[in-house]
Amino acid sequence: MPDHTKNDQTSNGMQCHEFDGLVSDALDGVLTGTKLDGFHAHARTCSVCGPLFAEVQAGRNWLKSLTEVEPPVSLVTNILVSTTGVDTQRLRVNVSAPQPRMGWMAARWESAQAWVSGAMQPIWGTVRQPRFAMSFGMAFFSLSVALSVLGVKPADLRQISLRPAALRHTYYNTQARVVRYYDNIKLVYEVQAAVRVLKRNAAPAESRPGESAPAKKDHKNDTTQQPEQKQDRDYSQTGNHLILACAPLGPSVLDPLNQDRLNPDPLPDLPVVSVTTYRRFV
Amino acid sequence: MLVRRCVAGDAAAWEEIVQTYNRRIYNICYRFAGSSDDAEDLAQEVFIKMYRTLASYDSSKGAFVTWVTTITRNLLVDHFRKTKQDRITDSLDATSSAHEDAQPLSEQIQDQSAPPDQHVRSREVGETVHAALAKLSPELREAVILRDLQDFDYREIATVLKVPEGTVKSRINRGRAELARLLQRTYRQVM
Repeated sequence: MPDHTKNDQTSNGMQCHEFDGLVSDALDGVLTGTKLDGFHAHARTCSVCGPLFAEVQAGRNWLKSLTEVEPPVSLVTNILVSTTGVDTQRLRVNVSAPQPRMGWMAARWESAQAWVSGAMQPIWGTVRQPRFAMSFGMAFFSLSVALSVLGVKPADLRQISLRPAALRHTYYNTQARVVRYYDNIKLVYEVQAAVRVLKRNAAPAESRPGESAPAKKDHKNDTTQQPEQKQDRDYSQTGNHLILACAPLGPSVLDPLNQDRLNPDPLPDLPVVSVTTYRRFV
Repeated sequence: MLVRRCVAGDAAAWEEIVQTYNRRIYNICYRFAGSSDDAEDLAQEVFIKMYRTLASYDSSKGAFVTWVTTITRNLLVDHFRKTKQDRITDSLDATSSAHEDAQPLSEQIQDQSAPPDQHVRSREVGETVHAALAKLSPELREAVILRDLQDFDYREIATVLKVPEGTVKSRINRGRAELARLLQRTYRQVM
């Protein structure tokens, strides 16, 4: 558009900026009467607005000469597939197909079906996405490979009994088979044997600090059926042990062999009975 | 009514909308973007966006066609901004080659002699005008496309472009004048 600050001139009672505002109306044919006469008179005399109006008119004519282009044939199909996931051909057949006359129940059923299909449309659209189909295919493939590796045949599934007793039996059978299989693995067997050897070797070393343990054995719960070992008691006459009544456990106070380890506080208040037994127990 | 049915999940209603508006939207995209491949992609994007936001359409705020055109225009502007860097690179390449070969727009027309067939002639004129239209600034281009190719009235264009009616008129006139100047230069060089 012209620079009206420089070329703002009055011609035939109309200024350039006024002319500029009326160009669209003049081209659209809404300008009539004296305004239209004044507009054309200004266009004829003004050196800026005249050529400008001619250019605008020419540009408009050029644009009007452009015809609409035909969109690609696949556009509608692509749009429908990318939005609803439904191919247009199927829809077109459904829409244009003549509707047969139906009874009350059939009409109800039809409307219910339409409602359900309408509600399921977004889900169905998602399900039909290629990436979803790809994921589903991969999952199916993985499952079938896993089943074939495990030795499960689809034909066997038909013979499965679903009674509780049969199910329990199958469960225990399977468990036993798994345990047997596990125990028979060479590596497991070797590891178990090595652990057993290690335990056997470590057993004496572990039992040493607990040698006094058998003294505290609970005789009531002893079910080993082995004869009781009484090696802790020495009833021989050669022994000079003194038996002290009410004496606390530990080394004998008056033990002549342990004189150097005498208790510094020998509990003097306790009544001490010194008895030497010469009876021999057989 | 059609929109309400579509929002309710009627697939046939959505197909009807697509059938009704695909031509208009494709043409706007084609004239703005300049290439048929871009126009096809953009038209699809417009419909995808429309499908997602259909529930937000408020008939009290304007006609459905205005709403659809607003979505199209916004997407085209976004596309224009995204591809701006590519165009800058392209124009730099074009400048360097222009210095070497000096090939103006007029020489891009394959056959400069007047073809005997009128149909071929008018097709070539259409291609020249289309090429000149692509050289307008996006503000002027969208205004003339909506007015002269899509026959929108000024108020609708003002709603779509979110500018006053006076600005719309001014942009349309500037766009037409600029286009005429480009084409005059082109044909003067051909002659």
